[in-house]
Amino acid sequence: MRCAGPAIECRAVTRRFGARTALHALDLDVEAGEIVGLLGPNGSGKTTTLRILATLLRPDSGTARILSWDVAAEPMQVRRLIGVMPERPSLYDRHPVEDNVRFWAEVHQVRDPGAAVARALEFAGVADRARDPAGSLSKGLKQRVALARAIVHRPPVLLLDEPSSGLDPSAAASMEGLIRDLAREGTTILLNTHRLAEAERLCDRVAILREGHLLQVGTPQQVRAALLGHIVEVEFAGLVDLPVRRAVESFPAVREVWWSPSAVRCRLSDAGRDTPELVARLVRAGAAIVAVRPAGDLERAYLELMSQPVPGSLAA
Amino acid sequence: MSNAAITSSPGVRALARKELRELRRHRMIVATAIVLPIAFLVLPVLNLLLYEPSRAIGGPDFAVGQAMFCFFLTPVIMPATMAAYGIIGERDQGTLEPLLTLPLSDRELLAGKVAAILLPTLGASFGIYALYMAVVALAVEPPVRSPALDWTWPFGLLLAAPLLALFSTLTGMFFSARSKDVRIAEHLSGLVLLPSMLPVLLIVTRTVEPSVLTWCVFAAAVAAIDAGLWRLVVRAFDRERAISTA
Ligand SMILES: Nc1ncnc2c1ncn2[C@@H]1O[C@H](COP(=O)(O)OP(=O)(O)OP(=O)(O)O)[C@@H](O)[C@H]1O
Ligand SMILES: [Mg+2]
Repeated sequence: MRCAGPAIECRAVTRRFGARTALHALDLDVEAGEIVGLLGPNGSGKTTTLRILATLLRPDSGTARILSWDVAAEPMQVRRLIGVMPERPSLYDRHPVEDNVRFWAEVHQVRDPGAAVARALEFAGVADRARDPAGSLSKGLKQRVALARAIVHRPPVLLLDEPSSGLDPSAAASMEGLIRDLAREGTTILLNTHRLAEAERLCDRVAILREGHLLQVGTPQQVRAALLGHIVEVEFAGLVDLPVRRAVESFPAVREVWWSPSAVRCRLSDAGRDTPELVARLVRAGAAIVAVRPAGDLERAYLELMSQPVPGSLAA
Repeated sequence: MSNAAITSSPGVRALARKELRELRRHRMIVATAIVLPIAFLVLPVLNLLLYEPSRAIGGPDFAVGQAMFCFFLTPVIMPATMAAYGIIGERDQGTLEPLLTLPLSDRELLAGKVAAILLPTLGASFGIYALYMAVVALAVEPPVRSPALDWTWPFGLLLAAPLLALFSTLTGMFFSARSKDVRIAEHLSGLVLLPSMLPVLLIVTRTVEPSVLTWCVFAAAVAAIDAGLWRLVVRAFDRERAISTA
């Protein structure tokens, strides 16, 4: 296996459908073992990106690689290394659940297909439905079977198109847990999602697409900070007193500050670097801190980004 | 990988097994696969059992030729529906996209599907012919029995049926790869298949003598057409086009 460099690599990947450009010179790397979430409105090019990486669509220009194999030039090598969950669960509805997964194991030439199928179904929590026709399962259970199918050959790279779409909150949470487990075992995961809170919890980094342009990429904190500023909110047990005010206002990293009776919001030069020092100063000043959190979440950052004018090109 | 080696790849065999399971669960395909061979067995058998020299137009040879036409028609008609579903069917049920992410080359994918169609087709074609031969040997009057048991018939069928079945399957797969609708694919392959049965008609009616040489020439011609068709189907199969529903 060749794998110098990132596990997933897109270099200036462009894809057109007729006159419409679905993807404009996308540059994106996913490191081995990382979970990266592709976010963006409907039609922004998320599925197109995953389909290109899954060897289903060819890029018009640029190169995309999975573990150093070019998806357009060496698709067979790429297909051996990926597990794909498409936008729809896409199972053979008339076949029992286990036959659906077994077919995948056999084509991938998994050594002991029976055991691999049992393990994958167990992992996805659908082992008790193994004999049922796939068509008789609920949407959430189908998604789980689709995940079991995608991982039955233990691929190093997973491409998941909206794995939690249409799931109820607890089913979505358990899908999130499954994805986290896979990443912990070292699987590299690129997923599409519209659930921003989920992306914020789950993803090491997020990439935000809009009309085929990559607008932002970074950790959820970085994206939030880039769009909403480095604002941190500190909540106290009681009312703010003078020493606490002084501790905040004398800290040079604090650019702006807003007080309320038992909380403070500060714009810091760099929230990641300066928050610990801010907290230390507050504690020394005798503040009874109840909570420290970044102001705003990924969802607010996302909405902020979407309210800005459509970009002509990629914003770094 | 050579065309011959393809069918022995484990991926192709796994695909063929999946296809066979799927055909078994497809009610319309199962119905066609049962009703058609039964009809094509019962008709020729009745034809010979009820043969009455004073009434029949043409001699016993003509009656046997009519029966044989059914046996040559079976491997051509049976694959049509299955082959038309081959690619469009996967797309319509949404399974084509994940299928295309599996490590199967275009040729492996097509070979697995073709193999899964040929197996039941040839099983049924040879099965009903064997039953027919048994009935003829046991129950049909001698004047009809001897032309019916003439060994050039089984020779011709064994040689030509697999090639005719492949011809029909590849024609159906070609249209399945290129059409947007199963019915259109079935219809178009019907338009190609029916006229192609004309040479068979000439042989079974003894317009052309059904000798070993005739069958060999016929088989060679169908084999050459099959080889060309295989190349055409491989070329016609375009993954992006196949998954796009537009
Ligand atoms: N096969 C196709 N033919 C023509 N246009 C296409 C095709 N596939 C995608 N597009 C177009 O490309 C653009 C990006 O589509 P894509 O499916 O990648 O969006 P998406 O980000 O996944 O959206 P959603 O959140 O709705 O799933 C859209 O404008 C879409 O209409
Ligand atoms: Mg999509």
